[in-house]
Amino acid sequence: MNKQIKKILAPVASLRLTVVLFALAMVLILVGTVAQKDMGNWAVVNEYFRSLWLWMPIGLGGVRVPFVGGYTIGGLMIVNLLAAHAVRFKLTWKRAGIILTHAGLILLILGEVLTGLFAVEWQIQLDEGKSANFAVDIREVELAVVDPSPADHDNVVVVPQSMLEDRAPGLPISDPQLPFEVQVLRWMPNSAVTGLGMAEPSLRENNPATDGLGKMVIAVPQPRASGVEAGRVDFPAAYIRLSRAGRDLGTWLVTQNLERLGSETRQPVRVGDKTYLIELRFRRDYKPYTITLIDFKHDKFVGTETPKNFSSEIRLVDPTVNEDRTVLIYMNHPLRHRPLNSRGETFYQSGYVGETTTILQVVRNPSWLMPYIACSLVALGLIVHFGAMLWKFVGRTRR
Amino acid sequence: MKKLTHLIPAAAILLSLSLLAGPLLPGHDRGMYDLDTLARLPVSAGGRTKPLDTVARNSLLIISDRQTATIDGERRSAIRWLIDVMARPNEAGAYQVFRIDHPDVKSLLGNPPANQKRFSFDRIFTHRDTLEQQAALVQTIKKNQRTPFQKRLGELFNHINLYIQLRDWHEPYAVPPLKPGEQWRPLIQEIHGPHDGQVGEQDTAHAPPGPAAASLGNILLAYQNQDPDRFNREVRQYASMLDQRMPDTTRKARFEVFFNRLAPFYQGTVLYVLAFLLICGSLLAVNARSDSLAKGLGRAAVWVIALTFCLHTFGLAARVYMQGYAPVTNLYSSAVFIGWFCVAMGLFLEWLFKNGLGAALAALIGFITLIIAHNLADGDTMQMMQAVLDSNFWLSTHVIAVTIGYAATFLAGFIGISYILMGVYTRALTPDRQKALGKMMYGVIAFALLFSFVGTVLGGIWADQSWGRFWGWDPKENGAVLIVLMNALILHARWGGMVKTRGVAVLAVFGNIITAWSWFGTNMLGVGLHSYGFMDSAVQWMLVFVAIQLAIMSAGLIPVSRWRSFAP
Repeated sequence: MNKQIKKILAPVASLRLTVVLFALAMVLILVGTVAQKDMGNWAVVNEYFRSLWLWMPIGLGGVRVPFVGGYTIGGLMIVNLLAAHAVRFKLTWKRAGIILTHAGLILLILGEVLTGLFAVEWQIQLDEGKSANFAVDIREVELAVVDPSPADHDNVVVVPQSMLEDRAPGLPISDPQLPFEVQVLRWMPNSAVTGLGMAEPSLRENNPATDGLGKMVIAVPQPRASGVEAGRVDFPAAYIRLSRAGRDLGTWLVTQNLERLGSETRQPVRVGDKTYLIELRFRRDYKPYTITLIDFKHDKFVGTETPKNFSSEIRLVDPTVNEDRTVLIYMNHPLRHRPLNSRGETFYQSGYVGETTTILQVVRNPSWLMPYIACSLVALGLIVHFGAMLWKFVGRTRR
Repeated sequence: MKKLTHLIPAAAILLSLSLLAGPLLPGHDRGMYDLDTLARLPVSAGGRTKPLDTVARNSLLIISDRQTATIDGERRSAIRWLIDVMARPNEAGAYQVFRIDHPDVKSLLGNPPANQKRFSFDRIFTHRDTLEQQAALVQTIKKNQRTPFQKRLGELFNHINLYIQLRDWHEPYAVPPLKPGEQWRPLIQEIHGPHDGQVGEQDTAHAPPGPAAASLGNILLAYQNQDPDRFNREVRQYASMLDQRMPDTTRKARFEVFFNRLAPFYQGTVLYVLAFLLICGSLLAVNARSDSLAKGLGRAAVWVIALTFCLHTFGLAARVYMQGYAPVTNLYSSAVFIGWFCVAMGLFLEWLFKNGLGAALAALIGFITLIIAHNLADGDTMQMMQAVLDSNFWLSTHVIAVTIGYAATFLAGFIGISYILMGVYTRALTPDRQKALGKMMYGVIAFALLFSFVGTVLGGIWADQSWGRFWGWDPKENGAVLIVLMNALILHARWGGMVKTRGVAVLAVFGNIITAWSWFGTNMLGVGLHSYGFMDSAVQWMLVFVAIQLAIMSAGLIPVSRWRSFAP
């Protein structure tokens, strides 16, 4: 290689940088793990690991310092590694193990980046005998405004969460498709609702709601949920003021809590002589296929509350690929399905509610195969490299 | 004098074997009742089929923190206590089994003497009004928000509850499934019908108890009536009936009773100490320039470790057989496995280097990990796995690989500790030893990197198979990746010439902190899917451990010119 280029690359390729990057990664992961105690797990992943940089808290007192994020460290590791191979390493049998290992590592880091960028997760919650043609993203909500007046269908306009939470107070959301303007007075990323009668007097007196559900219950902000799989999710809530052409249509409480409480989730709003239904719900993604839960089975170990196994027998109907079949989804046995002109999706048995309701996790991850390949490469590389080392060493000592 | 090199190892092995045989001999409080046969009867508790002996021992372990019970100053076996509780509840109330340590909880029982630790059910029952008042107060507070007093009180209530469940025949599920479609059920249900406590229309319609329940009832009745002949007849008749109807179950149950008596991990702790003492003795003998004595003691140590390792291996294999899962299923078994693997590696290093260090570390780590395991045991250590974790393929690949990674990183850390302590405080770190220890650390760290990496990624693949997420940044996953990074950091720092053997030693000791964090610290955070066992007292031990490691690291950072081994 050109000497000039080598000279420029040398500092980027140094092992010193490698060690520094490892140390930085360790600090990042350690602090990120501790942060999961108080912050939502997904908030930590996005702030610490899937970011370029962040303000990292140091100890007590709320002091924060800027620190490199996961993308920066991962990116630098790849650059460092490629530069090192370009400058120092030669393709020899002795180096074969190391090269395999490092190639696998690059794939692994890329795989995680691609997953962060392109993987999508949804949930489908289904009662026995019911069908669904959409999945929900439990990490995001949307405000749905439903016009039920057409006889054979509903017209739905949704306001995404990003518009609800980022909107500066006082600046209303308006759109020709919306029957009214929406002004977000207060946004709560996670909330709990209590009956108005049970709330503290100060909360009761300052209740912003003037109509609907908000006159019966009050929403109180909660810290964001932590833990990936513990089944804890955020239940956002918002107080919104609706108006049309300057005429006040009341201040309403909309919250995701309603679905959990099993009460009517949609509130009627009268605009002129027409009635619209509003609802804050998990963001929906409509699918070309329909899933019906035929039977949900759930066994516990005798005399305990420990789940032994659970499984969902479902019927999958997808006209785009002319499929109509019955499948059993259970732990460690997902269903993979690919609708026409779309990426493959995988359905996992993720949880359950009561005895007859299943929760399926639906994942679309185009790079799901990469870790498998990466892991095999790294393991093979390490075995070749260290195995040769040990072989030589034992041979020498034993003689 | 030559003979010493053979005599001492032989004597040490004989001593070890006699220690092992002791508890297998027939017990002393057999009396006229055939409690041995009773102990072997299979029942179901916590979803697992096990002998009554295990239920008795584990219940006592939970309530009393030991496996024997005291009444009127006399120690009795667990099975004797259990049959007394089940068949003679009035007399059994006098057993002093409820261990209470917290002084404020104790004072609720009418200010007993400060040194009394265990209390009888009768005594607790006389103070039930006070306790019930407190129970009502505690129950309004969430578990993780309770004060230490409230936590201890909550534990006491759980223990009382367990005792009552046993006394009233709700636990264990003693009636076996003899017909197809049946399941294990509580004796009380079979005798009083499914609606016990609800006297009414259900009672009259209830079918008479089946043959198994009737036998069990007769056994308890005979014991209650103090009729040993009838008791022995009934219990043997019932046992032979089960032998015919469910031979596999009774075989397993008999084996488990043998396992309980042998107590391989408890005995292993003692033997590892013995081996460590032998090594210390051999070091003293070297100083006293008594070569054959030193050699004899050293060899004896290796033999005792090898024997204990066989025992340790048998214990692990026995758990796999009894439980039907791969060896590591919870924190307890991970401690046992880490110890086992460290001992294996220690013996291998001893075989390679023959400098006594591998053996010394094997004995030391074997001892420490078994002590940790002993303290982690709270009730049955062979619980059933919940659905998401119930997969022997992943338990035997991902979990084993990660645990081997933990074990190897710990071993490297302990070699680092030896290097620093020997170098700073003694003259024992000769250039030869420096070289040997450096090679040992390097090899073990490389091994640790391989297994921690493979184990971590296999975990990701398991997660991808289970719920479609290769990497969830779960605290336990992060802990595992920290170990990988730590080992990779040490190796790259060495390859880059940034550290030499001393630096590797210091970093390897830091690896101990990382591993301890990954193993226990993440559980202390109490978040994530992997947080299967939270313990408060462990937090303090963890801090002590970290402090010791930091102290050793700073000793290692003292300039080499001040190390005794390098002083002129």
